[in-house]
Amino acid sequence: MKEIVLCQQHFLLHPSGGIFWKETQTWLLADVHLGKVAHFRKHGIAVPRKAEGAFYQKMEGLLKEYPSNRILFLGDLFHSYQNNEWFLFEAWVKQQKAELILIQGNHDIIPAQKFTLLGLTVLDSLEEAGFFFTHYPTEKESCFVFCGHLHPGIKLMGNGQQRLTLPCFYRTPKQLILPAFGSFTGLHLLSPKREDQVYALTENAVVEIERKN
Amino acid sequence: MNDLLSWFTGQKWTPQDFQKECWTAYSEGKNGMLHAPTGSGKTYALWGGILQEILKNKQTPKGLQALWITPLRALAVEIQQATQRMTTDLCPGLKVDLRTGDSTQNERTRQKRSPSFGLITTPESLHVLISNKEHQRYFENVQVVVVDEWHELLGSKRGVQIELALAYLRSFLPNLRIWGISATLGNKTLARQILLGNTKKYTTITAQIQKEIKVISIVPKNMERFPWRGHLGIHLLPQVLKLIQKNKTTLVFTNTRAQCEIWFHKLLEANPNLAGSIAMHHGSIDKKIRLWVEEALRKEELKVVVCTSSLDLGVDFSPVESCIQIGSPKGVGRFIQRAGRSGHRPNTPSTIYFLPTHAMELIEAVALQEGIKQQKIEDRIPYLNTYDVLLQFLMTLAIGSGFYPDALFPIVKKTFCYQTLDQEKWQWLLNFLIKGSQSLEHYDEYKKVSVLANGLLQVTHKGIAMRHRLSMGTIVSDADLKVRYQKGGYLGTIEEWFVSKLKPGDVFTFSGRNLELIRLQHMEVVVKKSKAKQAKVPAWMGGRMSFSAHLSDLLKSTLQNPAHENSPEFKALAPVFTQQQKESIVPKPHEFLIERFHTKEGCHTVFYPFEGYAIHEAMASLMAYRISLLSPISFTMSYNDYGFELLSDQAFDSTRFMDNDLFTIQYVLEDLEKSINLSEMARRRFRDIAVISGLVFQGFPNKPIKTKHLQSGSQLFYDVFKDYEPDNLLYHQSLEETFDHGMERGRLLEVFESIQKQTIVWKECTQPTPFSFPLITDRIRSKLSSERVEDRIKKMYLQLDKTNR
Repeated sequence: MKEIVLCQQHFLLHPSGGIFWKETQTWLLADVHLGKVAHFRKHGIAVPRKAEGAFYQKMEGLLKEYPSNRILFLGDLFHSYQNNEWFLFEAWVKQQKAELILIQGNHDIIPAQKFTLLGLTVLDSLEEAGFFFTHYPTEKESCFVFCGHLHPGIKLMGNGQQRLTLPCFYRTPKQLILPAFGSFTGLHLLSPKREDQVYALTENAVVEIERKN
Repeated sequence: MNDLLSWFTGQKWTPQDFQKECWTAYSEGKNGMLHAPTGSGKTYALWGGILQEILKNKQTPKGLQALWITPLRALAVEIQQATQRMTTDLCPGLKVDLRTGDSTQNERTRQKRSPSFGLITTPESLHVLISNKEHQRYFENVQVVVVDEWHELLGSKRGVQIELALAYLRSFLPNLRIWGISATLGNKTLARQILLGNTKKYTTITAQIQKEIKVISIVPKNMERFPWRGHLGIHLLPQVLKLIQKNKTTLVFTNTRAQCEIWFHKLLEANPNLAGSIAMHHGSIDKKIRLWVEEALRKEELKVVVCTSSLDLGVDFSPVESCIQIGSPKGVGRFIQRAGRSGHRPNTPSTIYFLPTHAMELIEAVALQEGIKQQKIEDRIPYLNTYDVLLQFLMTLAIGSGFYPDALFPIVKKTFCYQTLDQEKWQWLLNFLIKGSQSLEHYDEYKKVSVLANGLLQVTHKGIAMRHRLSMGTIVSDADLKVRYQKGGYLGTIEEWFVSKLKPGDVFTFSGRNLELIRLQHMEVVVKKSKAKQAKVPAWMGGRMSFSAHLSDLLKSTLQNPAHENSPEFKALAPVFTQQQKESIVPKPHEFLIERFHTKEGCHTVFYPFEGYAIHEAMASLMAYRISLLSPISFTMSYNDYGFELLSDQAFDSTRFMDNDLFTIQYVLEDLEKSINLSEMARRRFRDIAVISGLVFQGFPNKPIKTKHLQSGSQLFYDVFKDYEPDNLLYHQSLEETFDHGMERGRLLEVFESIQKQTIVWKECTQPTPFSFPLITDRIRSKLSSERVEDRIKKMYLQLDKTNR
């Protein structure tokens, strides 16, 4: 876990890939890609079903650790067209006490109406307290941006030709890109610029990466 | 027999003994295995027998009677021409067709409607034929299947494809005869049993053709300037040019396609007069260009062809006068095969020049000569229990006529590959196809193979059948993209990962030209010619070959045999040996050398077992694992044919290493298995498995079909299986294959046994030694670590964007 402060607000970067915004008790999650496993299976590709169930288990753990009023999905909540995964999601939604908001991403091709009927709020983006929440990385005048979309990953090097590739939270001066929360999602490797900051995810920790100058 | 003989006389040929033996054995209805080298007339040995039977029966044969399978498409063309010629002369009116991945839709339809007497095809195309609903009718008249170049197929998954197809054909053609043609190999008996099954009605025929092979090393004049490492050998360009001038036609064999491109360029650059009489031939170049090169070679229009293993097989090029091998050929068998490409006429010796790319390869040159003298030909190791190929085959049947599992199981079990398959695993595979898992779960919409009311397993979904048709075949490469000029004209295919590193405007070398990337669209790389001098050379994956056991034995004995000291190779090496002995030693037979030195990269520990790449890969991982148990440490490993290197950021203690008896033979296999899991060597194996078993769909270069939201890499599959379904058979196969094929379990144990008898010599060196150089400069590395990820990260840093450094 790693706490960072932005505009006097406190954010916990969690090893699961989610962010907990303390002041508003909000979980931020990007790129869950629900239904991806089911989509593959429907087309004859046998991805283990358990890979999908991971989402619900992970959520249970997170909400126990930091109960919240609000869960904000930063796009690509579902991977493709509606499939049976929807029923599992529906059942999960019904158990939630927190407010659920979906910021739409490029994969979200299921009609917004279906989500609103379940009680979710569907938005293109959200501006709040000097922060801008969106799916796509972008720049916004006078706002700090939280987004997803890229599935950021990072390559680390060390002595003895050591290499490590890990998912990460990727922070530029005015933006923070979240890693993909879903399992069975890939990584997109980024090459940091000098002013960028990287927080790598390991199984149990979030580690701020030192610079070699 | 008379007709055959007079045909031979008409060609001004005399039938050789092995040809006559084949004709007789065939007429007796036997199965058989013919061992004959390329270019010896083996095609007529079998086709003659087949036609002779037709002549004897005096009836016009019905439908498809003779099936001929070859590993290469280029070879198929050649054989179709040869067999058709003989057929036209002896049995006018009968036709031989060609069916490969290159056949047009029209040809395929025509062949299906009115099958000709003979069909020349590849293993993949044979499976495509089996996927037709009406295949049993199509094959009903087949008398014989000939499998050509069996030694090439045997050690590959394509060999398993053949095993399955033959067992299946036999199930409804009980009188089918099977013949194999193979070059000599170490394990002849096994090769025969696998192909012919356990029939007693067989014969083995060996062509007694002893060809004299002359090996001449291209020794650099000045050893001072001879590089200690490298794989290109360009510094010997002048000598190669001289050889090319001297001979009418020369083949230059390279080990990789990248090397092939570079040599082609450098030769042309050094002697522009070669333009027009120099060509290049490798597997990624468009078929039309390749066929043109082959034709031009035959017509003696070319002076030199730079090629890879794509020209190893078959096709007869009599005009070739000499061959040059750039870098190690990695095996005696392959070297003999390549040498045999020259001097194809009987009684002319084959000459092959060996060009070492770095100093250590000069030792190999001597070993190869010894190997040829002793005729030490390698074994080919067949695959066992390759579930991916079986799943693919089951799908192939399921998209056509379908299959009954209970009827198919005994057929599959008849193959060598699946002889140990049990009911439980069989059921697992069926479940994988029908349910996509082993238990029924709620909400699951898995759809692939359906069980019909009568128990038949069949694919009913058109899209699934289509995707399977497009991805059939076992030779796997990264997604291949077609390279095409903007104004049209295909140049060949290139691997996606290389293109993915290019930006529009970048210049790269391909097919001997410098090309500028314009854009990437629909699986096509659109390019235009470029005048730029500097260009990137695409590296092709795969093709990393290991020393065979024989060659590594030869290498060791060569290095340590004083008889060789006067050879030109060893004289040239003298300065290298002197340097090696200054810092370290040249190990004697009873010595096992370990060197330790530090550079700014970290702490290097280099081991020299001289056992070949595959064994070193295993040993490196195993030793790294054992050392990592002593204390948390992270290694990156590199290996070549002489030894392996463990590189770490901190040094491990040499006394602790020696005291703990880390070379013990106890638990070797157990430790190896653990190290494979840790170092994730199986990951690489899984790439093939994922594609063959149909998990990863690559699409087809010129048929972009809709696969929206279905793209995923094999790596991701490997991860989910590892995390969520560790008992998945495909995941297990990747671990098993790393063992048996990458590593050769049995040999590994022998190696550890022999180390017990050796004295370990640990040398602390102040700087890298000549022996270590090729190893420490190798950038392709595996990893193994016993440290916590968090601890490792703390010692690491970010790779910054280049523009920001």
